[in-house]
Amino acid sequence: MAKERIQQRRDWRAESAAFFLNHRAVCLLTATLLAACAVLGFLRPPMAKIRAQISPRFVRESGSRYSEAKVNLLVIGIARGRNVKTGDTETYVGFAGKIFQADLNRELDLKAKAEKAEKERGETVRAPLTKTERREYQRQKLLENVADIVLWIPPLLDGSKITVSLTILSTLTGAFLSIFMALGKISKFKPLSKLCSAYIFVFRGSPLLMQLFFIYFGLPLINPNLNIQDRFTAAYIAFTLNSIAYMAEIIRAAIQSIDKGQFEASKALGLTYGQTMRLVVIPQSIRRLIPPVANEFIMVLKDASLVSIISLSDLAKVTQTISTTSGKVLVYIPSIAIYLIITALFTFIFNRLEKRFSIYQ
Amino acid sequence: MSLIRTEDVCKFFGTLEVLKNVSISVEPGEVVCVIGPSGAGKSTLLRSLNQLESIYSGKIFIEDELFLHRDKGVTVGRTAPQAHKRLLLEMGMVFQSFNLFPHRTVLENLLLAPVNVQNIPKAEAEADARQLLETVGLSAKADAYPARLSGGQQQRVAIARALAMHPKIMLFDEPTSALDPELVGEVLGVMRSLAESGMTMLVVTHEMAFARDVADRVLFMYEGTVLEDSPPAEIFTNPKNERTQQFLQRILAH
Ligand SMILES: Nc1ncnc2c1ncn2[C@@H]1O[C@H](COP(=O)(O)OP(=O)(O)OP(=O)(O)O)[C@@H](O)[C@H]1O
Ligand SMILES: [Mg+2]
Repeated sequence: MAKERIQQRRDWRAESAAFFLNHRAVCLLTATLLAACAVLGFLRPPMAKIRAQISPRFVRESGSRYSEAKVNLLVIGIARGRNVKTGDTETYVGFAGKIFQADLNRELDLKAKAEKAEKERGETVRAPLTKTERREYQRQKLLENVADIVLWIPPLLDGSKITVSLTILSTLTGAFLSIFMALGKISKFKPLSKLCSAYIFVFRGSPLLMQLFFIYFGLPLINPNLNIQDRFTAAYIAFTLNSIAYMAEIIRAAIQSIDKGQFEASKALGLTYGQTMRLVVIPQSIRRLIPPVANEFIMVLKDASLVSIISLSDLAKVTQTISTTSGKVLVYIPSIAIYLIITALFTFIFNRLEKRFSIYQ
Repeated sequence: MSLIRTEDVCKFFGTLEVLKNVSISVEPGEVVCVIGPSGAGKSTLLRSLNQLESIYSGKIFIEDELFLHRDKGVTVGRTAPQAHKRLLLEMGMVFQSFNLFPHRTVLENLLLAPVNVQNIPKAEAEADARQLLETVGLSAKADAYPARLSGGQQQRVAIARALAMHPKIMLFDEPTSALDPELVGEVLGVMRSLAESGMTMLVVTHEMAFARDVADRVLFMYEGTVLEDSPPAEIFTNPKNERTQQFLQRILAH
């Protein structure tokens, strides 16, 4: 057994090596970027220096009550002055030892906007930007975008917390409970089997959105005792009930794909039905379960965006809010990136699990 | 006293009558081989004995205790549940397709039932299992998973697994039919030595040489009935029934 474990580990190493070879370009690029960021990050100017740059206008108007965004990433430091009266903001980016002021080149900004508007109206451009002005303008825009993304990350991560915890909790609970649902459905006791089939039919056949809506808003109307105060709990219940139905079908299919010789051998050896399931059938189905369960997991991760209808701020909702309030569509890029990172992470975990459970093959 | 005895066992698959009033008996220490053409009901007979198939009517006695009595698809008599399980475990079964537990090592395959069904302490069961692996010549494979073994080795493990429950009779359903020809010998060898050690065996087989050399009696089944029940010397040299003659001619021709 020890030998097989070692063999297993070797296989894994060989596979990772192969992975890096196959994706050489991507891996190299990522490594270079990371290294560069690390170096540039160390060259980040101290916060005090950034603070000193904040324009006197802001410090004066707000009585030096400028606040500092709580972002202090490895790479980029930012100070943001907030003027309480006008809601104006000033953003500074400290990067690679320099301090840039983003967003404030108003003259250029206004000029560029006027130019664009005139172009759209088909009028002659009265005051075109000079070449240097244009370059400066583009640099400012870029810095502003970088600063924005960094500032959005904390709220986006806050939203991801809801998305991820809802997904993990409800799929885990769902996976556990669905074992019983699956066993119920394949049971020879007809009423139980019918009941489980009906449950699966209802929860697979109707939109999750409606189930969620019904549990949060509908149940209290039917019986006031069923009022679920906490929104997250309501979402958790709805998502769990839903994933029980989906996973029960996955588990049923996996159990029924086990060779019937396994059942016969168990019976001939005197194992009870429960022992046969627990010791023989379910352990063998687990490996077959992992790919469809991983799939289901990713579906739930994306479906989690539905919780916005009960005003929970998950990742998708936060993204949407930022985009509508700031008018910056760019926020979808870091948001999608976060989704992809989460998906990649869990795909990796599920792949490892699958390997782990296939040692006997 | 017979170890197993059946009286007028009938069995249907839908409208097909697979067993027609089958009455057989196996005495302790006896090796009985069952031969017959495909579809004769040999497997069904074996599987009816240890309840993998439920019979339509008839009686099954184990050690002269009425194990099961059914009439027109209804159970009219059987031993009390505890005794029923004990009697069931007196039959060990070896399948054509081995049916080892693929997610457990060879040793764990042997331990599963003794530990979980008979509640034997693990250490004791393990000592016993290692002993059994030695008798089937597979001590070295104790920690391997079944998928890493050859067919012959797997079937020997399956025999050891059945023996680990210390049954009084071993039922074999064509134990070598799924094997490559060069692997048949090692399994038959184990079965031979098992027979020599005095184990009672009921063997469905197409290996006529094995039946001739090892069996005390040979049953010939045809379309759900036992047409002939004679010692091998008689059945192979001088079959009484015409069907038996035809079958043996065909089988021994190649
Ligand atoms: N589960 C089943 N459902 C329906 N018919 C079956 C089933 N099992 C077996 N039969 C039928 O019962 C008859 C007897 O089958 P059985 O497997 O007992 O034959 P056998 O003598 O073991 O043949 P073989 O040498 O091919 O194994 C065959 O006609 C077979 O088609
Ligand atoms: Mg058969």
